[in-house]
Amino acid sequence: MVRGRLLPAAGLGVLLVGLIFFPLVVTLPYPQHVMILIFLYAMMGLAWNIIGGYAGQVSLGDATYFGIGAYTTVILLRDLGLSPWVGMLVGAVNAVVVSVILGYPCFRVRGHYFAIATIALNEIVATIFTNWEYVGGAVGIYVPILPESFINLQFHRSKAPYYYIALGMLIGVILLNVWVGRSRLGYYFRAIRADQDAARSLGIDITRYKMIAYAMTAALTSLGGSFYSMYVLYIDPTSVFAFSISLLVVLVAVLGGVGTVAGPIIGSVILISLSEGTRVLLGGTGRALDVAIYGLLVMAISVLQPYGIVAWVRSLRRPRKPREVKVAGPAA
Amino acid sequence: MPDPLLEVEGLSKRFGGLLANQDVTFAIYPGEVVGLIGPNGAGKTTLFNCITGFYRPDGGRVRFEGVDITGWPPDKICRAGIARTFQVVRVFRGLTAFENVMVGALLRHPNPSRAAEVARKILDLTGLSAHADELVDGLPIALKKRVEMARSLATGPKLLLLDEVMAGLNPRERQAAVELVRRVRSELGVTVLMVEHVMEVVMPLSDRVIVLDFGVKIAEGRPQEIINNPEVIKAYLGERYAARFGRLGGV
Amino acid sequence: MTAELLVQVVVSGLLIGFVFALISVGLTLIFGVMDIVNFAHGEFLMLAMFAAFWLYALFGVDPVFSVLVCGPLLFTVGVLTHKILIRHILNAPMLAQIFCTFGLSVFLKSLAQFLWGPNFRSITEPLLGGRVEIFGVFFGLPQVAAALGAVLATGAVYLLIYRTELGRALQATSEDKETAALMGIDTEKMFTLAWGIGAACVGVAGALLSMFYYIYPEVGAVFALTSYVVVALGGFGSVTGALIGGLIIGLVQVVAGFITPAFKMVVVYLVYMGVILWRPQGLFGRW
Repeated sequence: MVRGRLLPAAGLGVLLVGLIFFPLVVTLPYPQHVMILIFLYAMMGLAWNIIGGYAGQVSLGDATYFGIGAYTTVILLRDLGLSPWVGMLVGAVNAVVVSVILGYPCFRVRGHYFAIATIALNEIVATIFTNWEYVGGAVGIYVPILPESFINLQFHRSKAPYYYIALGMLIGVILLNVWVGRSRLGYYFRAIRADQDAARSLGIDITRYKMIAYAMTAALTSLGGSFYSMYVLYIDPTSVFAFSISLLVVLVAVLGGVGTVAGPIIGSVILISLSEGTRVLLGGTGRALDVAIYGLLVMAISVLQPYGIVAWVRSLRRPRKPREVKVAGPAA
Repeated sequence: MPDPLLEVEGLSKRFGGLLANQDVTFAIYPGEVVGLIGPNGAGKTTLFNCITGFYRPDGGRVRFEGVDITGWPPDKICRAGIARTFQVVRVFRGLTAFENVMVGALLRHPNPSRAAEVARKILDLTGLSAHADELVDGLPIALKKRVEMARSLATGPKLLLLDEVMAGLNPRERQAAVELVRRVRSELGVTVLMVEHVMEVVMPLSDRVIVLDFGVKIAEGRPQEIINNPEVIKAYLGERYAARFGRLGGV
Repeated sequence: MTAELLVQVVVSGLLIGFVFALISVGLTLIFGVMDIVNFAHGEFLMLAMFAAFWLYALFGVDPVFSVLVCGPLLFTVGVLTHKILIRHILNAPMLAQIFCTFGLSVFLKSLAQFLWGPNFRSITEPLLGGRVEIFGVFFGLPQVAAALGAVLATGAVYLLIYRTELGRALQATSEDKETAALMGIDTEKMFTLAWGIGAACVGVAGALLSMFYYIYPEVGAVFALTSYVVVALGGFGSVTGALIGGLIIGLVQVVAGFITPAFKMVVVYLVYMGVILWRPQGLFGRW
């Protein structure tokens, strides 16, 4: 499995400064919008990384949690006037609960049960919300417009504040991923992914740790949904439970490099650019075509380089020389 | 006689029509190194799997330190103090030797820095320090097996079950492995139950030997007794071997 | 609940259940022999339905006859899928295996959308149109004919698996690949056949469904989900299980659809979770 390698600190520093100054230099809303999308999907790709990259369980329906985050936030705002930040927290809790309900039966059996269940749940939740009057059914909900402020998480004159919040969330999730990677959780997740039975023989309760990983993924993905609801100011089942969101999240993580920190970020940059690019170039029909390209990419990756771009780059950089390993004699 | 560490009573396990273990009974005492031998298909690995929770026995009990652990899941059994290696080596690919051992060490030491200390110590003990930061994928089989053993030892077990650690090793590697098992007992105080085919190793190393054939325990005793046991000779060792080993005198 | 209602519900459930069974037999066959879940199974069905539709729309060929075309057509698609894609991921980590067929599913679905648009099509005047009376209740003739066709096809597959030498070779490969290879069975051929026959099953099912069901790019997803549940219930790898599971789920869906039409798939999903919780190996599963 590939380990994340840190770019030289200087390079990172320059990048960070550049990102911070970006909206001040590029003041057109569309490029800012694209960057926000990149941050959002990088963040959700990193979230997916925890269950899919670290723990090795394939989740194909993360839009479920994106939508739960979005709806929770909007409903709490609409009915109780609660700040979207509170909504984000509650949304994350809801997401965790749902993930546990799905995870508990599935994690005790083989991986494909889980994969199927995540797809099914995505469809089911979309169906439920489409038929539920209280949440607006198929029509969805127009988010109540609030005065522009940080507490309200709504900004009307410029996208720049959204940009900074998204960037902040992304940095937070990056740090979380790095921390997890070094902690007991990270070791246990990777052990589960590498060999479940061997992991059990070392005292690891694999069901419990898979559920922890999935809960983390669900919570972080729901944060993305909450943010999105306040950014777009309109939600409906088709937009927040869309299978294309689930697909894109997976693809971002897998294309870039499963199990690495840089991977989902690279994946997001490439895929969002591709997505926006085809949309601009091809208009309406382009929608289906770019998804078709996603499908091709996923197939290609699975066959050629399951570990993504990061692994591919790494294999180019490291010269292949045969290693001579001597078996140690009786220890000194 | 101290209390037994592990007691296996009347253990039976069947797979469809095949009775892999039939009414197997024995005890392991603290500080021993016990060998478990028998022809292929005798049920040795099945027995291991029943003891360590990977199979659920169809009959009989397994007791560890007096506690009935029959039917416990593998992770609970490890936490209780039994660790194991696998017949076909199962190290965590994509991780370094150090990281492999860390996974084991984190059981009793959730704090990663404390676990790292324990891991380094175990790597030293098992002679793996030089390879600590190499990916296990590229290591030869002898070292992979040692990493697996180190990883199991890092969980701080009282009893270590070794499944054919010697298979695939050349004589020099075997000698190193024998030394290692001796050190495991003397320096870490771990009791060892080992499945083996390589007689040159089992007989000198074991305090006692248990013999399985067709799922049934056919003999138990000191190596010298086992060598001369006609049942065992008939089932497994063969007359020529018995004569040869008798002549070498063992050690 | 009147007798009429009971007959309607039970027979409807069985009719669609036979079609579910045929679809699921294909899925379970592929899994049984290769240990791979075909996430593109629904899209194979969709392709067959579109093939039947275009044969009808462009050449006036009735679905009854298209069955003879779609079966072999999808057989070829299955074989190609194996030869071009699956062959390379036979020993890959599960992640890669899932992604491979998942990617294929996405690709086929969006390709269909790109080529033919998202609109619903239907075959408006099938040869076997109209109604038929069973036990005093009326049912659509297409549905009955589809069920009969499904029974015949499932029966054919069943005979193939359990009564021919080829079928025995498939069973052997599904049970233990290495030993089968050692016994002289050409496992590569078995794998290819599994994909071919598995896809052919949905090929036939698709042509049959096109007689009365709407045809659109997303149609595969609905049936795929149902067939995963059927296979889980029946036991991954068991043809008998797929048959019985198909009938059970057919009944469940119709009853659920009767009680709560909007949420009937939720009920099916709950059945799936129930199976995982209480009997993951399904009714006839191997493990």
